[in-house]
Amino acid sequence: MGEILIIAENLTIYYDGYRAVEDITFRLSSGETLLLLGPNGAGKTSLLRTIAGLHKSYTGKLLVFGKPPAEVKDLISYVPQSHSLNERVPLKAIEVVAMGALYKRGFIHFNIPKSVLKEAEEALEFVGLGDIKNKRFAELSGGQKQRVLLARALVSKPKLLLLDEPLSALDPSARVEVVSVLAKIKREMRITMIITTHDPNPLTEIGDKVMLVNKRLVAFGTPEEVLRDEIITKVYGSLAKAVKVGERMYCFIGDVHIHGRERR
Amino acid sequence: MIPEYLLRALLAGIMVSVLLGMLSPLINMKGLAFLTHATFHTLLFGAVLGMILGLIFSNFSLVLWVALIITIFVVILIALLENRGFSSDTAIGVIASFIAGSTVLAFGVLYKVMASRPYFALSQSVVSYLTGELFLITLNDLMFLVLGGAVIFFVMLAFYRDFLYVSFDAEGVEAYSGNARFYLTLLYVLVGATGALIVRTVGLITLQVVAVLPGTIAVMLSNDLRKILGISLGLTLSVQVLSIVLAYLTDIPPSGIATIMLGLVYGFLVLRR
Ligand SMILES: Nc1ncnc2c1ncn2[C@@H]1O[C@H](COP(=O)(O)OP(=O)(O)OP(=O)(O)O)[C@@H](O)[C@H]1O
Ligand SMILES: [Mg+2]
Repeated sequence: MGEILIIAENLTIYYDGYRAVEDITFRLSSGETLLLLGPNGAGKTSLLRTIAGLHKSYTGKLLVFGKPPAEVKDLISYVPQSHSLNERVPLKAIEVVAMGALYKRGFIHFNIPKSVLKEAEEALEFVGLGDIKNKRFAELSGGQKQRVLLARALVSKPKLLLLDEPLSALDPSARVEVVSVLAKIKREMRITMIITTHDPNPLTEIGDKVMLVNKRLVAFGTPEEVLRDEIITKVYGSLAKAVKVGERMYCFIGDVHIHGRERR
Repeated sequence: MIPEYLLRALLAGIMVSVLLGMLSPLINMKGLAFLTHATFHTLLFGAVLGMILGLIFSNFSLVLWVALIITIFVVILIALLENRGFSSDTAIGVIASFIAGSTVLAFGVLYKVMASRPYFALSQSVVSYLTGELFLITLNDLMFLVLGGAVIFFVMLAFYRDFLYVSFDAEGVEAYSGNARFYLTLLYVLVGATGALIVRTVGLITLQVVAVLPGTIAVMLSNDLRKILGISLGLTLSVQVLSIVLAYLTDIPPSGIATIMLGLVYGFLVLRR
């Protein structure tokens, strides 16, 4: 893998004096994919938005491409959780994708320029949605929506892609759909990615690194290093369990009681 | 022959329809009904303040200007609060209650000033401000409405897509190098300026309904942007023109007729569902 792309040292993120997460230290190299894992309220979104340059109140060191994130926003694409979108606005899939490229070109966008439309179409093709470009975003399936958002992120030609829970609220087949696009992005475009998730299992195939946070850094390393019983039980309780199947790590957290200890 | 005042009323009605027809779907999609409500309070406050000044300086064109300036000032204040992280409802709630309270105080001052200048028939003007005075519009008023309306129309048209995008995903606009705060503030200013510009024709009491309902109805009927705009524009236009004609024949204020017609259309659609 290439040069160091993100450096965080003792990074602490605030909301009006309230510490959302503290003392985060890690490095990520270019081309790597990081899975950011943690329970509700752990600070995943806060960390992601800070790296994206969208949240600016933090202390400690944070360099992205060697600079403070706000200075390199053009190189970063942030994909919010899809429930934060207002679907009353009847935008077509292609219009949503075009958003990713429009704002770097000018201030007024009465019409979408042809060149942007073409790029948007290509991005939709890349995520396998070339045929639904004129469908309304609100009418797409969950997996399709997430892929449209991925296309929007790609059309801005990012070098760093930040995805907030791209798999939550998706059924298993839609998850496969989205993960295969993420794998394709990694394989063909070699874009560095940080993906937050509650469930690492569908993503361990593409995750080079895993970070576990819970208001502070619990562990950072390769999946083998982090997804271990003694580490994940610290956050998810004594029933959490990590297993290795072939080359891949799997992790059972939350309500999955694989020992059946609580059964009568 | 159509009387001239009727012609003026019709032209004013058309201008008002174009502005509201364009704006109303945005108000619905972005969820700005509460903002238009706050605009209503602010316009009343601005109008009362304008009347006080108008009485003192014997210049009633001040009413429109004071209302316009105060309204734009207040919507910018609301947008600034939102940009600092307050929720939209909180920002509007705080400002609107402050404005509403001040309005009551301002009325007290207005009555005092009116009592000291008994020769102005201003009480009538307060009432006509509330109900709209479409048939009393002067050529000057009309010119102002058309010119101001044209400016608002073209600004709105130029930024319409950006308004859709900030309504859809403001953080996304920001993340992809757009200035979401600017677009949001501009949208608020357009809502305030439109309110101030048309309040004398539409009337304060019915302003919110005619600003909100056409968009709500259009969004109910279609999910295609062009159709939504078409329905909203067509609806405001036919309601305005029809209400003016009916008002001319019956002597009931047109704003009341327009509002009742919109309410009937909306009620019919809701029941038919
Ligand atoms: N805008 C905000 N203002 C104040 N506090 C916030 C804000 N956003 C998040 N927080 C707080 O910061 C902490 C971390 O929240 P964050 O949303 O980053 O967690 P998360 O790991 O993304 O959770 P989830 O899995 O539920 O998405 C929480 O305690 C939350 O209440
Ligand atoms: Mg989150």
